[in-house]
Amino acid sequence: MNTGYLAGDLRALRAAGLMSLRQIRRYPTNLFGTIFWPVLLPAVWVLMGQAYSGGGDPEALNAFASRAGTTGIALFVFIGYLMYMWLSALLWGPGTALRQEQIRGSLEAVFLTPVSRLVPLFGPTLTNIVWIVADLFVMGLAAWLLFGVVLPLQGVVLAFAITLVGVPAMYAMGALFGAGVLRFGEIGPAVQFTRGVLSMLCGITFPIAMLPGWAQATAVAMPPTHIVDGMRNALLRSASPGDLVPTAAALIGLAIVFGALAVVVFRWLEASARRTGMLGRY
Amino acid sequence: MTTGPAVEVTGLTKVFEKGRRTVWQRLRREPDKRSKFVAVNGIDLRVERGEIFGVLGPNGAGKTTTLRMLATLLEPTSGEVRVLGIDVRKDPRQIRANLGAMLSGERSLYWKLTARENLEYFAALYHVPPKETTARIDAALVAVKLTDRADDYVERYSTGMRQRLALARALLPDPPLVILDEPTVGLDPQSARDLRDRVRELKRQGRTVLLTTHYMEEADQLCDRIAIIDHGEIVALDTPAALKRRIRAEEVVSLEIGMTGEDAPMLARLANSAVIARSERHNGTLAVTAHCASARDFVPAAFDAARSEGATIQHVEVVPVSLEDVFISLTGRALRE
Repeated sequence: MNTGYLAGDLRALRAAGLMSLRQIRRYPTNLFGTIFWPVLLPAVWVLMGQAYSGGGDPEALNAFASRAGTTGIALFVFIGYLMYMWLSALLWGPGTALRQEQIRGSLEAVFLTPVSRLVPLFGPTLTNIVWIVADLFVMGLAAWLLFGVVLPLQGVVLAFAITLVGVPAMYAMGALFGAGVLRFGEIGPAVQFTRGVLSMLCGITFPIAMLPGWAQATAVAMPPTHIVDGMRNALLRSASPGDLVPTAAALIGLAIVFGALAVVVFRWLEASARRTGMLGRY
Repeated sequence: MTTGPAVEVTGLTKVFEKGRRTVWQRLRREPDKRSKFVAVNGIDLRVERGEIFGVLGPNGAGKTTTLRMLATLLEPTSGEVRVLGIDVRKDPRQIRANLGAMLSGERSLYWKLTARENLEYFAALYHVPPKETTARIDAALVAVKLTDRADDYVERYSTGMRQRLALARALLPDPPLVILDEPTVGLDPQSARDLRDRVRELKRQGRTVLLTTHYMEEADQLCDRIAIIDHGEIVALDTPAALKRRIRAEEVVSLEIGMTGEDAPMLARLANSAVIARSERHNGTLAVTAHCASARDFVPAAFDAARSEGATIQHVEVVPVSLEDVFISLTGRALRE
């Protein structure tokens, strides 16, 4: 890689993130969703879980713990939903960013510049990291205020660290869908289907021990499973940094696999779009 | 950057496939039954440095497809393309770094950002060094006369201002070559004139400008040389004056003849004293465009011909030869058709 291009691309990545933040800031009502969705969505499931467990019946909680490794239903669900919201943002994010550019008519203008194609794909979604931190804060506050759960400081730090380790793998998954936009335009139904399947496979609201064996095996190959498991280990099971090394290693391995796949698929579909003229159509 | 022509194209061809070939058809290895559409058919082109070169043709002639291939947005099916001495297939990124392009006009901007914010973002995408960014943006805004509105949201701009901002964006990399696709389409006459002035200024700065248009006057006024393109092929390429000399007429006469009989005898009589470039019958009126050496000689002959056929000439208009006439004489069709 040409180092001049690399330095320019990194500056462009920052500029793309900044541009996205500026545009979000011009629609301030969108920020309202950042406050109520991270509270409302998981709270419904926590209340349902508490009702199904007899409002704290020890026998029911032990049964839950035997599968989930914890009796903390509230935090278990809140962590799952944090993952769900991030998963949604990242599966939709890169694809939506490109799609919006395509519909607006600015995609060609961006592709006329010498910047790497990965910049318009990932740059606007860099702001997701800001949102995930905001969601983590709001959910922690809601879990404390609504359900009396106090997050351990070390657990929060480790959960954040696991989230950061999981970022490349998650962005690589998002890139796979983003690439689809270049060739096919609308990819909404594919994203919705995948998000639904991953929500079920990766243990968003229930432990994956509830899944059949083949589904559990598939779940292991999905980055969100490891991120959500690592966060639960850190926040619910008092895991030490050493305990989380296997999770981090799995995430790095999956990042390499998904990253390579994303690069190959993106290049292939971009070449196809340049051949068919799909860049300018929508 | 090498010397030599700004753009050199040999045998450039772009073929699109119509329809879809499903995954199922691919898996079964069924024969590809999609029909093919030849958008650009083996064109040769050479644009010299420092000139304003126009590609003139009707909608769907292949102008934009050609420009998109030069700008590396579209892959040619075959042919050789060198932009600023660089092969588009070998180093497209290097071409983009030295090319200013305005292809989709006002739609290609971020309307919720100000003009300056738009330019800051694109300066980063063009890899403009941070120390030069402010100066480049200011220079681009001055060049398109938008300095006083630089901090307004683009959504508050008129169409003409957005077009000028899109041009400012194309100037950010300080490009030796600027490509403009229909730069004045949709603009009011004043805005169009203003944008054409900006284009002339680019030439004065020593840049090469390659533009497409379907406005003959624009091509005539702006361009040093023009390629007339139709059905994906270049049908003529020369200076505007030389192109107009091709039709071997000094003047063009438009006639509207009221008549009830057949067109052919009337047209045959007119053809004795002029070249009939075009004729069209609407109910009882025959509209004729004739190319002649002298309207002073042709018009009385036309009245005589009409009298002989029992027709009446309802309207006569004499105009100088335009590129539209050149296009009609070359293709048999008007540009707007």
